[in-house]
Amino acid sequence: MPFREKSAWVMSLALLSAGIFYFIAVAVIWNESGQLAHPMLPLVIVYTICLTIIAALGHAIIAALAPKEANAPADERELKIIYSAGHYSSHIFAVGTLLSLGWYLFSGDGDLLFYTVFASFMAGQIMEYAIQIFLYRTSI
Amino acid sequence: MANKPSIKNRVRELREQHGSMTQAELGLEIGVTRQTVIAIEQNRYSPSLESAFRIAHVFGVGLEDVFSWEE
Repeated sequence: MPFREKSAWVMSLALLSAGIFYFIAVAVIWNESGQLAHPMLPLVIVYTICLTIIAALGHAIIAALAPKEANAPADERELKIIYSAGHYSSHIFAVGTLLSLGWYLFSGDGDLLFYTVFASFMAGQIMEYAIQIFLYRTSI
Repeated sequence: MANKPSIKNRVRELREQHGSMTQAELGLEIGVTRQTVIAIEQNRYSPSLESAFRIAHVFGVGLEDVFSWEE
């Protein structure tokens, strides 16, 4: 498995874990208070720290296993895969954001807007790495 | 509608003729990863013109001796 595919697995895992943590925390607060909580900065900070730690640790491990590959620049096929994945995932983020904005026009709920745009961002990021893995394993 | 054209290659054959050069060695020579060499050999990826010339140069043959167009 090439280093960049391993890196995509690490990032997928990091984003998925941090995202699940974030939305479980939001669901717990929602359940306890009986209403959707305002977006909280501490929760976003914890999400960012979790994401950073998992990504950094994961990359340190895979880089230690293949230091030469880790230091090599991406080759032409890898760059093509990275650009394609970024292109497709940007559509996911854009559609999610547009749907969120459309929903906001009817509901007027700014808190919900924050969560849905944040979720779209997370989905776009996760899909970017998932598409990279798919392309590494199949076409291109 | 015309059939999708594809580029075929003899990279694997030429590599084996060159003292059983490994995919990793060829990758190192042309500046791509072993996985990219595998993808080229399996016709899953068509290399850039620059890489195609590099491959031909490594084997000391012309571009058309390595790559061919098949309808």
